[in-house]
Amino acid sequence: MEVPADLEARIDEAITHYPVSRRSAVLPVLHLLQHHFRYITEESVAWTAAKLGLEPIQVLEVVTFYPGFRQTAPGKVHVRVCRTLACAMAGSYELLEKFCQASGIDREAINHHHPIGVSPDGKYSIEFVECLASCGTAPVCLVEDDLHEKVDPAAVDKVLAQYS
Amino acid sequence: MSQDISPSTAFIDGKPFLFQSGETILNVVDRHLGRGHVPTLCDAPQLEPYGACRVCSVEVALQDGGPRRVVASCHTPMAPGMHIFTETQKVRRLRKNIVELVLTDHPLDCLTCEVNGNCELQTVAAKVGIRKVRYPEGENHLDRKKDLSHPYMTSDLSKCINCSRCVRACDEIQGQHVLSMHGRGFNARIIKGMDTTFEESPCVSCGACSQACPTSAISDVFMSKSIEATNKTRTVCTYCGVGCNLTVATKGNEVLSIQAPVDAEVNHAHTCLKGRFAFKFYNHKDRLRKPLIRQPDGAFKEATWDEAYEHIVTNLKRIIAANGPQAVAGISSARCTNEENYLMQKFIRHVVGTNNIDCCARVCHSPTAWGMQKSFGTGAATNSFEDIGYTKCIMVIGANPTEGHPVTGARLKQAVMKGTPLIVIDPRRIEIVPYAKYHLQLRPGTNVALLNMMARFILDEGLVKKDFVEKRCENWEEFEAGLRSLDMDALEKITGVDKELVRAAAIEYASSEAAMSFHGLGVTEHEQGAKTVMLISNLAMMTGNIGRPGVGVNPLRGQNNVQGAADMGCQPHQGAGYFEMNDIQVQKRYSEFYGTNTPSEPGWKIPQMFDNAIAGNLKALWLMGEDVVQTDPDAHHVRHAMDSLEFLVVQEIFMTETAKYADVILPAASFLEKSGTFTNAERRVQRVNAAVKPLEGTKPDGQIMCEIIQRFGHPQADYTPDGVLAEIAQIVPFFKGATWENLGEQGKQWPIREGGVDTQIMHVEQFARGKGHFHFFNWQESTELKTNGTEFPFILTTGRILEHYNCGTMTRRTGNSEIVAKDLLAINPADARAKSINTGDTVKLFSARGEVELEASVTDEVKPGILYTTFHFPENMVNNVTGQGCDADTLCPEYKVVAADIVKVS
Repeated sequence: MEVPADLEARIDEAITHYPVSRRSAVLPVLHLLQHHFRYITEESVAWTAAKLGLEPIQVLEVVTFYPGFRQTAPGKVHVRVCRTLACAMAGSYELLEKFCQASGIDREAINHHHPIGVSPDGKYSIEFVECLASCGTAPVCLVEDDLHEKVDPAAVDKVLAQYS
Repeated sequence: MSQDISPSTAFIDGKPFLFQSGETILNVVDRHLGRGHVPTLCDAPQLEPYGACRVCSVEVALQDGGPRRVVASCHTPMAPGMHIFTETQKVRRLRKNIVELVLTDHPLDCLTCEVNGNCELQTVAAKVGIRKVRYPEGENHLDRKKDLSHPYMTSDLSKCINCSRCVRACDEIQGQHVLSMHGRGFNARIIKGMDTTFEESPCVSCGACSQACPTSAISDVFMSKSIEATNKTRTVCTYCGVGCNLTVATKGNEVLSIQAPVDAEVNHAHTCLKGRFAFKFYNHKDRLRKPLIRQPDGAFKEATWDEAYEHIVTNLKRIIAANGPQAVAGISSARCTNEENYLMQKFIRHVVGTNNIDCCARVCHSPTAWGMQKSFGTGAATNSFEDIGYTKCIMVIGANPTEGHPVTGARLKQAVMKGTPLIVIDPRRIEIVPYAKYHLQLRPGTNVALLNMMARFILDEGLVKKDFVEKRCENWEEFEAGLRSLDMDALEKITGVDKELVRAAAIEYASSEAAMSFHGLGVTEHEQGAKTVMLISNLAMMTGNIGRPGVGVNPLRGQNNVQGAADMGCQPHQGAGYFEMNDIQVQKRYSEFYGTNTPSEPGWKIPQMFDNAIAGNLKALWLMGEDVVQTDPDAHHVRHAMDSLEFLVVQEIFMTETAKYADVILPAASFLEKSGTFTNAERRVQRVNAAVKPLEGTKPDGQIMCEIIQRFGHPQADYTPDGVLAEIAQIVPFFKGATWENLGEQGKQWPIREGGVDTQIMHVEQFARGKGHFHFFNWQESTELKTNGTEFPFILTTGRILEHYNCGTMTRRTGNSEIVAKDLLAINPADARAKSINTGDTVKLFSARGEVELEASVTDEVKPGILYTTFHFPENMVNNVTGQGCDADTLCPEYKVVAADIVKVS
C-alpha cells in the first residue's frame, strides 16, 4: 500500500486537530484513507496504527464498529440508499430493489449483517444505510458523494447513467 | 426526620453511610454492604468503572423525597446527601430483564461448565431471581468454536457476555492491547490480535483477562476459576524481584492453578505468565528426589539423608582440619527465603568459620548495593512501586521491565500511557520504547559517559536544586568541578547519542516535580557498574528527587529474594544486617550472639572463589540453588573451577549443569513446598507459605541448613519460619519489628521498627549515611573492548526474555517452552546483509573465550555493530562466549559488553 504524499500531508494536517489524544484521530485518518482507497484494508489498519502510535487492534475495533467503514472493495460507483423511516415510508425499499435490478446485484445478499452488495462486473455497489439527513426530500440516495433527492424508483437507470 | 447530612454521608436504602470523595455508588455499597449486594456483570474491582451491563442499576434521588432516576452505580460518583435505592421494584425488574436477555445468548450447560459454582453470571442470575427466560429462542452465538491453540490461554466465546472485562484487563492491567470488541450490536464479539487465535496473537499470557472474565469465555488450561480445589494458599512468586502475591489452589498435595489476589498491594490481581502459569516444574519427573553421592567410579548413587549428611560432615571436617576454614566457601541463593539465606551464612561464618559466603547478587545487583550504600547509606530501593502512581517523570536505565519485571513493567507502561513522560536509556529498542518520550540508545558500556552528560546539562541549564544539595548532601564541589571538566563533544561520540537529545532528556528529568528512576542489570553488569549506580544517585540528589513520593533511585532487583539474600549477610564483606565484617566491634557482637568465634579474615567473592579453586586454595564449595556453570560468565573457566574442587555440595531441585560436577547433591524443595519470607525490590518482606508438602524425599533448604548445623554439633532448633525470623529480628536492625504474625498478607517494607511500623519511602529527613555523597567518575572504555575489540568487532550484550527465567531450570520445564524454546541472536539488518545472514539462519557467535551456535533474528531493535542474546538454554550455553571482565568495585561480571564476532553457519 502506497499512501501518496499529498494524501499523507492531508492526514498529517487532520491529526493536528486532535492534539490531546491521538486515538481520537483514528476516525479522520480512516475517512481520508477510505476516500482514497475506496475501502479499509488490513494494510490501512496497520498504516493508521503506525501513524498514530497505536496498536492495530485499536484501529480495527473502530473500523468494525462503524458501518460507514467498508472492509471489502465496493464497486466503481457506490450507491447508498437511505433505509430510515421517512425514506422507507417514501419508497426506499422499492428504490433499493430497482437499483439492484439495474445493476445486476442480488438483493437477497444485502441484509443487516452484509449491507453492501457488489455487481458481478464490479461496476456498482449498493449499500442500504441509516439516515442521510434529508427526510424532507425522501427517498434519497448518495451516489458517490452526490445526494439525489426525491428519487423516482422508475428512474434509477437515469441516475446510474450519469456515472457510467 | 433528622438525619446527619455531612459532606461525606449518603443514604443507602434509608441508612446513612460514610464515603470518600471519588468513590462510586457501587464502591460505597460494596464496602459497607458487601460485594454482591448490588449485582454486576461488567464491573470488577481490579478494573476501571465501565458501565456496560447496567445490572448494577440503582435508583438515585439527590435529596430525601426528591425525584428518582435509574443510574448504573458502578460509574456514578457518590455525592453528599444522595439517597440510593438498591432494591426497588423498578431496578429489580430492570436487572432481571437484562440478565434474561444475556441468557438468551448463553449456553445453559452450567453443570458441565468449568466455572460451575464460581460463575458470576450464574451468581447474578440467581441473585436477581431468574427462573425462566421469557424470550423465545432466537439467533444466537452458541455455535462459536473454542480456541485451544495456546499452551495456557483458552477461550470459548459461546460463553461470552460481551462485558469487555477481558479487553479492559488487557488494556488497563497488562497494557498489551491484544483483545478488543469487534463489530457492534448482535455481531459484537471479542477478538484476539487481528481476529486470530491466542497462539497467533501477540498475547503475553499474563492471564489477567482470564481472571477478569466473569464466565469461562476466557480461561486457561489449568481452569483457574474452577472450584475443584480444596485449599487455597497465599504466597509469593519465586521468579523476579517484583514479589507478586499468588493464591495457589491445591487439592490434596497437588497444585491445580494459581491466581493473583485482588487485594495484593504489590500486584493488584496481576501477575505474568511465569507467576501464574509456570508452576508445573514443581512435580516434574526431573525433580531430584533422593540425595546423590558420587562414587569413586564417577557415577552418582542414591543415598539416604543420613548417609549424605555423614559424607558431607566427614569431608568438610577433613578439609577444614587439613586446610583451615578458608578452604571452604558457600554460595547461597537469591531464589531461597531470607531464613534459608540467613541460616546458610550462619553455617558458613559461624560454624565453618569463614567469610567465604556470597550469593548471586554478586552477578546482578552487587554494584547497586555497594554504590547506593556509598551515595545514600543503604543499598536498596528508596521508594515503592506505589510511587509509580505519583511520579511525574520516569527514567528507565538499563532495564527491560516489561520482560524482566513484567508486573512493574506493566505498571510503568500504564503510567506512561496516561501521560507520564518516560526516558529510556538502553542500547536496544526494548518493548517500552515506543511509549517513551526520549530513547537514548547508547553504545553498550557508555552509561557513565551518558549520565555525566545529563548531569552537566542539568548544571548548565541551572536546574540544580541548590538548597537540597546544600542541606542534605556533601562533596558537591568536587562533583561540580568534575562535570565542568567534561568534553561534551567527545562524550557525544563515545555514547553515540545526539547531545541535544541528551540535553532535552536531562531537562525533562531535572525540571519534573517528581522524577523517579528505575535501573536494572544494564547498569550494574559493566566494568563501571557501581560507578554508574552512584551517578544515577547523583542525578537524584542534584535534582532533589529523594525522600518524597514519586521520586528516588529504584533498582529493579532481579531474583525474587536477591534483596533479602544480601540483607541476610550472604556477601563476604558484610554480615547479616550489613555490618562490616572487618570491624572488630561487629565481630564481637556476632560472636556473643552466636556463641562462636566470628571469622576476621576477608572472604572471597564468587569470581575469587573460582580463581582460588583453580589455584588450589579453595577445596570445598557448598552451593544452595545456584547454577553457576550456566549462569556465570566464561563457562569454561567456571567448569575448570568446579573440576578443581576437592568437594562440591549442591542443594538443588533439578540436575543442573553445575550439579553434574557435585560430590553430593541434596534434593531441595521448591517455593511451593516451603515457608519463609522473600524481600522484594521495594524492601517488602513478605510471607511465603507452603501450598503443598515437600515432594517425597526432598527437604526445604532451611531444614537442610538446620540439620547440617546440628550435625556439626552446634545448637540449632529445627526449621520453623517464625522461629528463624525471630532470630533474624534480633540481629538485623531493620528487621527489628518484624514477626511472622505482623507481616500479615501484605508484608512490611524494611526498615521495620519495633511495633511493626514499616517504611515506604527512605531518606525522608536525612540520608541513612547522614549526608548524601556526590561522586565524580570519568568514563573509561571497557578493558574487554580495549583488549579484544579489534579482533572481535561486534559488541554482544545479553539479557532476558519474558517467558524464561535465568538458566531456565524451572521455566524450561513448563508450558513456557512451548512458547519460546531457544535463545536467539539479534543482529541489525545492515550487519546481517554484510554477513549474508537472514532470520532463521544458524550463526556462529564467537569471542576470545569460545563460541556458540545460535539462530539469527535480524532486527533493527539493535544498532549496527551490536548483537543481543539471552542465556536461558543450556543447549546454547551463551556464557561460553562471555568474559571475565567485571565491575571494578564489586566484581559483578560484565555480561553486557563482550567483544564478539559472527559468521553464518547455514
